[in-house]
Amino acid sequence: MHIPDGYLATPVWATLDVAAAPAVGYLARRAQKSLEQSSVPLLGVMGAFVFAAQMINFPVAAGTSSHLVGAALLAYALGPAAAGVVLTAILAVQALVFQDGGILALGANVINMAIAGMLAGYLPYWLMGAGRWRRQAIFLGGFLSLLTSGVLAMGELILSGVPMPGVVIRLSLGVFLVSAVLEGAITLAIMQALTAIHPELLRQPQPDGRRALGWIGVGAIFLAVVGVAMASAYPDGIERLADATGIASRATTLLRTPLADYQLGTLGSAWLRKAGAGLAGISLIYGALLAGGKWLARKRGA
Amino acid sequence: MAGAQEGRVVHHVVLDRWSRGESVLHRRDARAKTIAVLIFLIALATAQRAFLPLSLCYLGILAATIVAAGLPLGAALKRAAVVLPFTAVFAAISLAAGEPMRAAALVGKSYLSALAVLVLVSTTPLPELLRGLERMGVPRYLLMVAQFLYRYLFVISEEAQHMRVALQTKSGTLRRALWDRGKFAAAGGALGVLFARSYAHAEGIHQAMLARGFRGHFLTLSGRSFGRADVFFVAAALVIVAGARAAVEAWI
Repeated sequence: MHIPDGYLATPVWATLDVAAAPAVGYLARRAQKSLEQSSVPLLGVMGAFVFAAQMINFPVAAGTSSHLVGAALLAYALGPAAAGVVLTAILAVQALVFQDGGILALGANVINMAIAGMLAGYLPYWLMGAGRWRRQAIFLGGFLSLLTSGVLAMGELILSGVPMPGVVIRLSLGVFLVSAVLEGAITLAIMQALTAIHPELLRQPQPDGRRALGWIGVGAIFLAVVGVAMASAYPDGIERLADATGIASRATTLLRTPLADYQLGTLGSAWLRKAGAGLAGISLIYGALLAGGKWLARKRGA
Repeated sequence: MAGAQEGRVVHHVVLDRWSRGESVLHRRDARAKTIAVLIFLIALATAQRAFLPLSLCYLGILAATIVAAGLPLGAALKRAAVVLPFTAVFAAISLAAGEPMRAAALVGKSYLSALAVLVLVSTTPLPELLRGLERMGVPRYLLMVAQFLYRYLFVISEEAQHMRVALQTKSGTLRRALWDRGKFAAAGGALGVLFARSYAHAEGIHQAMLARGFRGHFLTLSGRSFGRADVFFVAAALVIVAGARAAVEAWI
């Protein structure tokens, strides 16, 4: 789900752009260091592969079909840092050449898919990909990556005030769940084929003594996804919670200062409160994911 | 899905041909055009009041730019409409929720944004655009990956196309089960093979690059520089875009 320009409210896209830029810079440096010299053509061609893979249809039920999205598969094959770079490059080419996803919304799309979705997909594989639960880990990774991206995108749209009646939210969550199951199944089918024909192309995950931290990461993703889904379905409750903890009022003053001269008549304070609370939540999730990614990358490099 | 993918290939080929023109706009530095488009996108994204007259005004500005660049106006307007199917869903939801102005803003903003980006990429060849982004501070590693991706998109897509045909000819059954495990695994196998082939391609490409003396970055032929005309172009874009918005908002 690529968010076009014109959908996100200014505080939402601006914050996500500001957050995405250093994250992508970090991933690029990380990938450059962790892979050998031939990595640039490899990463580019793998990006082209994910594009082209959309032409192969996976038959689902009577006449309908689905296709690979690929965040988890790339993370398994290239490692998380390189996968993040490839996915960012894909999103940039889609936004520029195919007008698929916005330019101002690029930060949001990168965070949803190339960073949060990719990390959510990688964690289960990193934890269990080498052992007895390999197949389940591969499936769970594909499932989580798509679900995380979808729920984040929906949360951002709701924060931006795009009207989403309860029916639409529940319907979208249903669609995300089905697509997530399919992504898991497709990722697993490709990984099994690859394991059979070219096992040497896949990186074997090497979990070590710090599994507990990884499990906390998986738990955090679950909580974040469920939390955003709940927040989307019941925004009033979250607003009350934010009011109670004082996050919203603080975020609101922060937001209002640079916009002081700006005509805010049409926005109203309820909107700002909602956006402020949501932004604080998204930044927390993002911070946790970035810290997790940094830690994962350090492990990989070590 | 496959049809959409072929449509994309054609879309890209058309934009690539357009980007090799020689108009005043084509001759501007990639950085100047990128900054101008960002100014436009931000002015449009932050617009709240008087949206309908403003979007008409901005449509006029973009149309004038397209004509000035010597691009076919009708075809460009049609190409930017690729965003409309996605937008239509959300516009319909907004309409159903009783917010017609929101629906109009979603359609107008996403369409005009896509059109602005289309003008940028159809007056700037992609290698030049990526080079400009590199000089603006985007990590070079990321841009090189993007450049390779773009270069090999069509090579790998063609192989995927062959596999799709092979898959269709070999796995034709009349049975329409709810869940056909065999077919699903066959598609997985095809993508596994495509993955392995892409991997092998990448190794061959890297060796060929080293053989030709690759030193870590690409060389571009037309080295444009940020001249006085580019400064003027950015200033003009700022004045026109911000001026149009101020004028419309003051007038309404």
